[in-house]
Amino acid sequence: MLCWSCRQPASGHFCPSCGKIQPAQATDYFSFFSLPRKLNIDLPSLEREFYRLSRKLHPDLFARGSAQEQEWSTEKTSQLNDAYRTLKDPIARTGYLLELEGVKLEEQSRSATDAARQTGAEKKQVVPPDLLEEVFELNMQLEEMRMNKQVGEDDPNIVRDLQQAQQHFEQKLNELTTELQNDWNEWDALIPAGSTEPQDQQARIRVRDKMVDLLNRRSYIRNLVRDVNEALS
Amino acid sequence: MAYSNKVLDHYTNPRNVGTLDKSSVDVGTGLVGAPECGDVMRLQIKVNPETHVIEEAKFKTFGCGSAIASSSLATEWIQGKNVEDALKISNTDIVKELSLPPVKIHCSVLAEDAIRAAINDWKKKHPEAHAAAAQSEVNQAEVNTTA
Repeated sequence: MLCWSCRQPASGHFCPSCGKIQPAQATDYFSFFSLPRKLNIDLPSLEREFYRLSRKLHPDLFARGSAQEQEWSTEKTSQLNDAYRTLKDPIARTGYLLELEGVKLEEQSRSATDAARQTGAEKKQVVPPDLLEEVFELNMQLEEMRMNKQVGEDDPNIVRDLQQAQQHFEQKLNELTTELQNDWNEWDALIPAGSTEPQDQQARIRVRDKMVDLLNRRSYIRNLVRDVNEALS
Repeated sequence: MAYSNKVLDHYTNPRNVGTLDKSSVDVGTGLVGAPECGDVMRLQIKVNPETHVIEEAKFKTFGCGSAIASSSLATEWIQGKNVEDALKISNTDIVKELSLPPVKIHCSVLAEDAIRAAINDWKKKHPEAHAAAAQSEVNQAEVNTTA
């Protein structure tokens, strides 16, 4: 692509020859930061790049520029903020990558229900039934403990039970985090040097689906941790 | 987020919360989850062995107001219906009745899943119910061809 101003070859947010801001484009968050679709991200350098671009793209700097340059700076600044907010958070980053890879996390359950309704078959639950059983049981216990706590707040046994539950859930969440880290490594290893995406399509889908499964399970455990912390606070 | 009055009504005054005997041959249990939000829902039905009418429905839901309202409404709707009619309830019926916003549609999906799962569980305990449903379809087909 050529720079709109000096007609020299340009890529990135600014022309390397004349330094002018380049048109805002629809882009994914990884590309916005010129990163491959890898899940292990060096957070300190992402943060530095975020601040560097924030300063360079700031709309105030373009107050005397053309209307188009002002518009691009505003749009790129907004993309920058969205991209940084998503990529800096490990779970949001993983969910975002999965969406780029064609997974509709928000719709998977409804799609499965539609399919079951049409065939009359039993819906395939997107999380394993034994996990559901366990989560349900834990929720029942938690509810009982919270009700007990409401009537006799000082009962040390109940507080102890709650603290044990808290440890148990947090440990589960940590296990899932470790598992996710392994999946990240596996995913990143699929991306050859100099490439931005995995080339082996079969492995790409396999690792992707593993991460979908993991995020699904994680949302239940995350809720339990949240609820037990609430009960203890 | 603002809940509709019907959601608030079911949420503050949920119908049919409770448990039925899971091991009873006339009870079907459905335990389902929505990974979008981590909600879990258990819905149980007690079915009349002669008429296949759902005599009693109970639920227990851990989730947001919309999930609780969806399951509460589902139990109200299926009580008094026979199992085949109960299977016709779809999540869009629940969305309409409760005026659920798009971000809460998965709660209604969960309620439909729960009905389906509970009935399937009951059917597993009653193989003859499958046969009866299949037989009525055959009869219907014969009526259609002879007409």
